[in-house]
Parts: sequence; structure tokens; C-alpha cells
Amino acid sequence: MNVNRYTCEQVFARLDDFLDRELSAEEMQLVQGHLDHCAACAAEHRFESAVLADVRKKLVRIDLPAGLRSRISDQLLRLQDPPPG
Amino acid sequence: MTGASGQLAPASVHSVPEHASRALTDADRETFEALLAPLLTAAYGTALHLTRNAADAEDVVQEASLNAFRGFATFERDSNFRAWFFRILVNCVYSRHRKTRRHGVAVELEDSPELYLYCQTAAAGLHGMSEDPANALMSRLDEEAIREAVDALPTEYRVVATLYFMQDLQYQEIADMVGCPVGTVRSRLHRARRLLQKRLWRIAEERGITKDLMHAQEGEE
Repeated sequence: MNVNRYTCEQVFARLDDFLDRELSAEEMQLVQGHLDHCAACAAEHRFESAVLADVRKKLVRIDLPAGLRSRISDQLLRLQDPPPG
Repeated sequence: MTGASGQLAPASVHSVPEHASRALTDADRETFEALLAPLLTAAYGTALHLTRNAADAEDVVQEASLNAFRGFATFERDSNFRAWFFRILVNCVYSRHRKTRRHGVAVELEDSPELYLYCQTAAAGLHGMSEDPANALMSRLDEEAIREAVDALPTEYRVVATLYFMQDLQYQEIADMVGCPVGTVRSRLHRARRLLQKRLWRIAEERGITKDLMHAQEGEE
């Protein structure tokens, strides 16, 4: 086995961690090197990356309910200075 | 708080004594609010996915904010406020979960294969008709569909998936927030993504999206 090249199986086993940038710098480079030359693995990577990005984009579209920020602010103030009695 | 086994662990950070706030000054409160303000939207979004209920999510964010303020004297100022606050928030969710004995929506936990959507879209012939088959499918799944799929995940998977997607965190950061080993976060997150893909495909089938896509492909041939 050429230690400077990953096989498709080795890349497949690391695809999730690669997508999350959780591999070592050396492993990231080895996976990227394989993706640069393997159209099949590159297509899988592109697909997975696009799905993750789309899920993230749609999940984060949430607005803070009106008034929640000020309610918390008021409560913090009351907690700090509880009313007498 | 869950350990590696998925069992609820004691909510140590959550249980901040009320008197801890007495020593806090106006300056402390202003500092606390300045640190908290940029996190509130993500906190609410996270709480919403974890509780699956808007009113509960508001309550959780308020409760976590007050608990964090009570314990702010114990917060080490040069450490990560976001990780500290979200750990308290997750504890609040688990605490409510215990009180209400609310359980996740039942989902099948049999192993979902890797690259589930990739394989399904390939089998449906979408890879031949589109240069971007992922977008061909995902562009037809709206925010409600994505939320439905995430909300259907079992609690321990939903927690790590929500923190991951909502805040783009590293595994170690999620592990610090949830209080479990980083390896547990990794395995739960990877499995959550497979379950999520399987659920998204089912939603696409239920909504007739897969049929539409296949008809579009036939029209092009």
C-alpha cells in the first residue's frame, strides 16, 4: 500500500470526520489528495457536503421571540436586586 | 446531562445556589448580558429543537439565563462562556425532560446505511439528470421538513445534532457542553446524520417530491 495515498475505502471511512474538519492535518491532506483524483469519491463528498450545508442553513433560520430578550434582562435585574420583603 | 450510556447524569452546573447571585454587581450583570446577548438566538433555536415546543423553549432559555447569572461568580472569565452557558442550557432541558418524563418520538434505530440520500437519489436516477443531485432534492425540502426530521431523532442524537448544526461546533466543544466523551459525540453525530438522511428521504416520498423528481427525469429523457 502506498502510504502517501488513501484508497477509496480509507476515504469512505473518514468522510464524516473530513466533512467536520476533525482529522489531523496529515489525514485531511491525504483525503483531499484522494478526492482531487477520484471522481466517484469526490461526487460522494460533494453530495454529503451539500446536504449538511442545506440542513444547517434551514435549521438556523429561527427568530428570537419578540420580548424574550427584554424579559430575560428584566429578570436578571430582579434577581440581582430582589424586591424588599 | 448524559454519559456515554445515554443515561441522564446529575445536573451539577444547573444546580447553582440562589445566594450565588447576591455578590454580583451592576458591572457583573452588564458583562453577563453582553456575553449572553449574541448567544440568545442560537440558544432559543437549540432549545426549540430539544424541547420541540416554542413555549418550553422560551422557558428553557430564561431558566438557563437566570441559572447562569446565579452562577456567574463561579465562571472563569478567560474560559469559554458559550460552552459554559450551553452546558447549563442542555442541563435545563434534561432537567425538564426528567420532570415531564417526556420521551422522544419513536423512531426505528436499525442501522441506516452510509450515504443514504446519495444512494437513494442515484437509484432514482437523479444523478444522470442533474449536475447537482443533492440540490435537486434538498431545494424541494423546506425548513419545516428539515425540522421535522431533526425533531424525530431520539433525544441523545438530537442533542448532539442540534448543537452541531445550530452552531457549527467541533466535537470536543459539543462533548464539553453535553458532558460525554468526544468519541460518544462522534458516534452519535454520525449516526444521527444517517438517521436524518433516512427520515428526509421518507418525508420526500410522503410529500411526493421523489415522484416529481423522477417524472421530471422521465420528461428529460
